[in-house]
Amino acid sequence: MSAYFAFAKSAVMTQLAYRNEVWANMFGKVVQVFARVAIWLAIYTGATSIEGITLQQMITYALLGGIVTGAIRYETIISMIGRALQTGDVAVWLLKPVSFPLYIIVSELGRAAYRLVVLVIPTVAVVALVYGMLPPASIFHGVMFLAYLALAYAIIALISTLFGLVSFWLLTSFSLEWLMQALLNLLSGQFIPFWFFPKTFGDIAAHLPFAWIVYYPAAVWLGRMDVAGTLIYFGIGCGWALLMAFGVAWLWRSASTRVIVQGG
Amino acid sequence: MLRHLRLIPILLQMNLRAQMEYRGAFLIDRLAMIIAYASAFAVIWLLVARFDTLAGWNWGELALLYSFHTLAYAVGASFSFTQMRDLEEHVRLGTFDAMLTRPMSPWVYLVFARYNIGYISHISLALALMTWALLTIPIDWSIGWVAYFLASLLSAALVTASLMTMLGATALAWTRSNHLYSLYFGFWELSRYPLNLYPTIIQGILLTIVPLGFMAAVPVAVLVGKPVPLLGDIAPIAALLAGPALASLAVLFWRFATSRYQGAGG
Amino acid sequence: MKTLVTTEYSEVEAVRDVSFDISAGEAVGYLGPNGAGKSTMIKMMTGILVPSAGELSILGRTPHQHRMANARDIGVVFGQRSQLWWDLPVRDSFDLHRRIYDIPAARYEGNLAQFSELLDLTPFLDRAVRQLSLGQRMRAEIVMALLHDPKILFLDEPTIGLDVVAKDAVRKFLARINRERGVTIILTTHDLQDIESICPRLIMVDQARLIFDGALKDLRASMGTRRRLTLEFASDPGPLDLQTARLSSDEGLLKHYQIEREDVSLVDVLAEIGRDRALKDIVLEEPNIEEVIRTFYQGRNTAAVTA
Repeated sequence: MSAYFAFAKSAVMTQLAYRNEVWANMFGKVVQVFARVAIWLAIYTGATSIEGITLQQMITYALLGGIVTGAIRYETIISMIGRALQTGDVAVWLLKPVSFPLYIIVSELGRAAYRLVVLVIPTVAVVALVYGMLPPASIFHGVMFLAYLALAYAIIALISTLFGLVSFWLLTSFSLEWLMQALLNLLSGQFIPFWFFPKTFGDIAAHLPFAWIVYYPAAVWLGRMDVAGTLIYFGIGCGWALLMAFGVAWLWRSASTRVIVQGG
Repeated sequence: MLRHLRLIPILLQMNLRAQMEYRGAFLIDRLAMIIAYASAFAVIWLLVARFDTLAGWNWGELALLYSFHTLAYAVGASFSFTQMRDLEEHVRLGTFDAMLTRPMSPWVYLVFARYNIGYISHISLALALMTWALLTIPIDWSIGWVAYFLASLLSAALVTASLMTMLGATALAWTRSNHLYSLYFGFWELSRYPLNLYPTIIQGILLTIVPLGFMAAVPVAVLVGKPVPLLGDIAPIAALLAGPALASLAVLFWRFATSRYQGAGG
Repeated sequence: MKTLVTTEYSEVEAVRDVSFDISAGEAVGYLGPNGAGKSTMIKMMTGILVPSAGELSILGRTPHQHRMANARDIGVVFGQRSQLWWDLPVRDSFDLHRRIYDIPAARYEGNLAQFSELLDLTPFLDRAVRQLSLGQRMRAEIVMALLHDPKILFLDEPTIGLDVVAKDAVRKFLARINRERGVTIILTTHDLQDIESICPRLIMVDQARLIFDGALKDLRASMGTRRRLTLEFASDPGPLDLQTARLSSDEGLLKHYQIEREDVSLVDVLAEIGRDRALKDIVLEEPNIEEVIRTFYQGRNTAAVTA
């Protein structure tokens, strides 16, 4: 376990080396969040509440929307796993007493934690100062939000790892990075919450694993789900995470066996 | 100069053959790009499906805006994005040094030897959507309108290629440039929407320091007869001049950066 | 965390007070440890970098001011970065080279045929570069750099990473091109063998400064390096001090000396020892060139530490 902590730590230290990048990223992020809020301001012109959602709630949703996707770089996970498998570099890892997929996940989560603190939270704070942001609906919702947040990081990391492993058979990780982006755009709720989706589409999206990346954490914060619903959906989310962890383990086994057979 | 023009088709042809060595991955990548860009567009569609208009723009107009943006970007970026993004790496590995030892412009070599045919996916998606949008929106078709449409599209493509060239050039002068791309793409995402959606300060930035407003928001507003914030009556001519003006600036900046080039040491 | 605002720019002096002339047809080896300013010098001579001060003239031109014209008259090979198109056959890169340099068809064909034969390129001319071995690739790089009949050929570490056979082929070829075609050769290297087999003249730099310019054989004298003398006796003559050589270690029957003066010959030493000392055998070692240079750098480093 301490090995994985060391991986995460060294990933953070590497990030610290690029200060210009921090500034540029922060500025880029602030602009993006402003833009998303601007879209909702335009939509709410003349209306105080749409489908029971106030403008203030929608702005809060938009601010929360970037907390996970703004901190983690799923494309890094996909391309690092893809490249290691395609070049056969992964063979080196098979000799070490650590799991390669777990190493990649932990390193990226380390960087994500760093970006969360240095990049995302300040960004959200700046925009919140201008437009205001609602606190969690209750203490329960606030606590559950944190639990959902941890689950969100686990799910996005696991999906990215699955995609990275699939790239071994597709021979391109580039396409999977873009596919991931497409799925996040539509199915995570990062631009539009599902309550504004056409009914059927919204219902389907709300039960796919991507929904736990943006939609559920934000919905919980806003108190859109009652206590029972919050707990039940947390359970379903954990089920997805577990299922995907099995998927990762199984794909990793077959991919690494193939690497060994091919002679690395 | 003339010699450079003769070399371009040869570089393009070699580059095409090299890229076709990885045909399978190429096709899968194109498909994924189409899906990704279509999904970004689907987000706009979902918004309009629910709220009818966005900042006074209806569905057809937004489709024209998005397709114009994607097409202009794809044309400009095919000449510049991957080339300029990789320039930092070329500097670090010294391959840019090798380009400087040939009797030809390193910019021409880089741009055409690495011309990115991958943008075919953006271009096909954008053309399909654009056709649909042009048939949907009521337009007073005239030669003048069509001429303006094409000229502003060209200008917008030039805006993209010029900005990318300037970003790449910073890698020559200061060896690092990649952090600037996240800034660029932050604003780039904004430029897919109408300008009047944003607060004045962001509108101002999009028309000056990061002039991506000229990529689509300004020319398309002019084309569908909507007012352009801040620019007003000079918007039509500003959209046409933005490309050539930025291109001239990019040429000067590229020269300046090349003169400051210090290699990667060693 | 350190402060978020700092400038990441500093000027490093890579070359200073280095002055030399190279005539047409010479072959010069530019030698020095990593970071000694070798590559910087090559980059300035090929017009890649602009020197911040000083004068530089290649074929009568200032390279960075006439980069294009200079480029036509020179060939450049970088040992560690390929100029060939990775995914295409070697021949395609050559053909592009012909067009970039406007080489007349007949001359191009002639050169290609001759070089291909000398370096045995024909078997892999139509293979994709990514399928070639490092040695094959380097041979192709060198041929490409010569296709337009450059007056000067610059090579930056041309033999780095090659196996013994490939190194030998490259060295023989370069020596021959220099001899038969009169192509001026300027190469940087770590490998003294390169210089011994290609370059009659050696320029050595260290810490951005010129420290030697001359024939390889004169290097030892100039560095003041001592020859080593070992005397073997049939019976131990006891401690034996000599005027001509300094005793460095004494193992009884076996005594080691260093000859410090260049004008001392073996005859002088023998004369001093005389015939009555039961001298059995005598070995005089000229330090090899690697040793000379190693001693020099070691000396410089200890000097730097004590200073």
